Amino acid sequence: MEFKTEVLIIGGGATGVGISRDLALRGIPCILLEKGDFASGASGRNHGLLHSGGRYAVSDPDAARECIAENQILKHIAPHCIEQTGGLFVSLPEDGLDFQNQFVGACEQAGIPATLLSRDDALELEPRLNPALLGAVEVPDGAIDPFSLIMANVRDAEIHGARFLLHTEVLSLLVDGNTIKQVKARNRITGEESSIVASYIVNATGSWANHILTLAGLRIGMALSKGSMLITNQRLTQRVINRCRKPSDGDILVPNDTVSILGTTSVRSEALDDFEVTPEEVFLLVREGSKMVPAVEHARFIRAYAGIRPLIQPEAEGGDRTISRGFVLIDHGERDGLHNLITITGGKFITYRLMAERTSDLLCRKMGVHAACSTHIHPLPGSTEGSGMRNRLQTFSQDRGETICECELVKRETVESLLMVGKLKDFLDILHRVRLAKGTCQGAFCVYRLLGVLHDLKLSKGDSNTTLKAFLNERWKGIRPVLWGVSVREEEMIESIYKGIFNL
Amino acid sequence: MFVSLESLNPLFTSMIHYDVIIIGMGLSGLMAAKTAVEAGRKVLIIGRGTGSLCLFSNTIDLLGEFPKATTTEDGLSRWIANHPQHPYSKAGQTGINEALVSFISLFPPPYSFESIGDENCMMLTGAGTFRPTRLVPSTMLAGISTRQGKTLVVGFEGFKDFYARYVADGLGCQGITLPLPETLNQEITASALSRFMEQDSFRKEIGREVRKHINGEVRVGFPAVLGLQDPMSVKKAIEDDVGVEVFEIPTLPPSVPGRRIFNRFRTWLIQRGVTFVMGQPVTEVSLEGNRCKGVYVFHAPGSTFYSGDRIILATGRFMGGGLVADQKRIIEPIFNLPVVQPESREGWFKKMFPEDHPIHYAGIETDVSFRPVDTRGGVLIDNVWVAGTVLAHHNVIEEKSREGIELVTGYLAAKRAIER
Repeated sequence: MEFKTEVLIIGGGATGVGISRDLALRGIPCILLEKGDFASGASGRNHGLLHSGGRYAVSDPDAARECIAENQILKHIAPHCIEQTGGLFVSLPEDGLDFQNQFVGACEQAGIPATLLSRDDALELEPRLNPALLGAVEVPDGAIDPFSLIMANVRDAEIHGARFLLHTEVLSLLVDGNTIKQVKARNRITGEESSIVASYIVNATGSWANHILTLAGLRIGMALSKGSMLITNQRLTQRVINRCRKPSDGDILVPNDTVSILGTTSVRSEALDDFEVTPEEVFLLVREGSKMVPAVEHARFIRAYAGIRPLIQPEAEGGDRTISRGFVLIDHGERDGLHNLITITGGKFITYRLMAERTSDLLCRKMGVHAACSTHIHPLPGSTEGSGMRNRLQTFSQDRGETICECELVKRETVESLLMVGKLKDFLDILHRVRLAKGTCQGAFCVYRLLGVLHDLKLSKGDSNTTLKAFLNERWKGIRPVLWGVSVREEEMIESIYKGIFNL
Repeated sequence: MFVSLESLNPLFTSMIHYDVIIIGMGLSGLMAAKTAVEAGRKVLIIGRGTGSLCLFSNTIDLLGEFPKATTTEDGLSRWIANHPQHPYSKAGQTGINEALVSFISLFPPPYSFESIGDENCMMLTGAGTFRPTRLVPSTMLAGISTRQGKTLVVGFEGFKDFYARYVADGLGCQGITLPLPETLNQEITASALSRFMEQDSFRKEIGREVRKHINGEVRVGFPAVLGLQDPMSVKKAIEDDVGVEVFEIPTLPPSVPGRRIFNRFRTWLIQRGVTFVMGQPVTEVSLEGNRCKGVYVFHAPGSTFYSGDRIILATGRFMGGGLVADQKRIIEPIFNLPVVQPESREGWFKKMFPEDHPIHYAGIETDVSFRPVDTRGGVLIDNVWVAGTVLAHHNVIEEKSREGIELVTGYLAAKRAIER
């Protein structure tokens, strides 16, 4: 296949998808290539925290200001992807109150609304907090569903003419003088090769930035940092809970729908596609998390996962926690003499829209096009629809169809309508788009049922038991680090079904 | 260990004595009860639930890992030689045979447990795969010869624990999913379906519908929901309407065939005077020196003490509550018996899901009489015997030995207990 477009975006994370929407709204044609599914990198492997900016207020005021601005914009354009939980920064006895003073001042400077709470007030709001806490500060943190946000951007971009090629990996860049003439790519499922001719190419591959740059003989300084998180099987607090101290490990607990997510760690990593959550990280997260919320110690965890943060290499000495979480936008025309290549990386999930705006602005300047950004004005598709568990329960109680996932209340109809659209080639892509396998059993029952539905619809391809085994293997990576307590009982049941009854 | 329950309940007076008390109502506990009552003992069986029996048991698996074309006897003697610590090695060939004979005798025709010759047979499963098993209930017999002639697989709309086309595509044959009468208006579960199957009108409708789809098939496979009370009559009635042989295929849990086994044991045991205490946990045991005097069973708001001469622990693994894992160690919660286990949690599970995970071999160490022992082999409690999957040195999942281990050790633990 051959494609010709104005802008080729490489990377289907929040940034790349955000750029596609931004350009599409400005009327600029674009194609996006993604080597896996949408959000398969750090965009889909983060905390789901809608930062208020509080976390960076003291250490990185610029990042904090960006956060609070984007926090407000996202609440306007994507209310269906957000739960406005609010957040508390709690001071524990071992932290003291010195940082709190600094913190409140820094929030004020950055324009982040911050309210001081006494110990008693904080405990009244969040009874599960450590009763030994000294005090807390309330800020407008929230919870965000990254995948829904990204899919809403995709829908809007498609409506406005952008095109997406999933499972398509860049093989080579054909450089001629100061220009990339052509990009060669291959579909990783079908093996089909394609070439794309574009006036400009945007490298929005996050942690993979140097993989693309290498193809043009270039390199930028990056520090890849693995952050691990644990998911509990129930929601432990109503608000985001942070430690009021310099950002460190295991000091954020984010409520997300029916669960809570405890994180994170920061470990240098070179592996981008095959990394695991280590026992040390699990130990550290549970120990630190239970200092803020003692119930963490006895919580049931349903999964561990990790993402790789694309941090920009620091000039000065210091740990990765001290590296700015700001983003970099590189015009390789200025930096390396390759005039039609741009790299955008670093940053945080919450600033994806701003990163897309800056990138699109630069592209417009280079193209000599006058078209202003409007992604902060127009709400995303779906923003008027209901969302969250409350909404699912409401729908659930009204219709009587077959439920194939009891944990997350997924109806067979929902799955069938998604499957009948027919564009999904990969089994994991289907799982990505419904809530199957996201609940307590992590797909132990519903994935077999999903395969059953595929057979019923005559959509199954290849040997389903191979698919089932591959899924169980993938599931295992997330489950094994947190197997203790009642989870062991569940695991015994799963093995008894698949290795036992079914002899897979 | 616990606050004395006697002190909590001033009305505590009951004191009932039994020859044998069995803790656990899964297949091993039931088998122990049968063995003890047959020897003329006064038996009490206490169970919080019915263990894995009503979840996973369909057929009687003995040992799946035989080399091809090996008889059970040859396979077992080789297994025993290579696995000296395995429960089967403590039972010996004779003990295994006696236990199976005793079990089979409980199921006279028409719903009996059969084998094909003296080796394992390959049983069709709900994933369209085959599993090696030793004894098959008569409703499943036709499912072991599906490689010859065409099979029609039938499922039901709304029954989400079985997918006819999934199975049929695996077999390379036809699969159909039948709509159910709308009047049912309830969640379609295995137990609901098995109740409907016992209604003549429902069966007739299914039979008529299936007949329309028969196109050269020589047998029809249904999910294993052909009634609880009299499955062979259900099978026969459908066969009369359809005109070819009908058989059952195991589904996701719960297991209707497992429930049939449970019901048969319960009826038989109650007829012979066995006392059942169901749905209540044993909260404490009374130990005096190296003897157990009896057990406390929780009945809100108080508890009852049952005294016994011999106690059989048949509490299952993690699912049954016989073993409990905290963040670091695995414990046995009733007697706090030592549990053979990997050094640390790190060693419980291997890196890949399909691997043989060491945690499954954890459990209680016993002597050859199934009495719990310490690391030096000394008997810990004189009048306690251990049966079923809570024992160490086996992996019922990998070995495909679940029912075999439960029946054999349940039988032998009770036999050794009453011999003393």
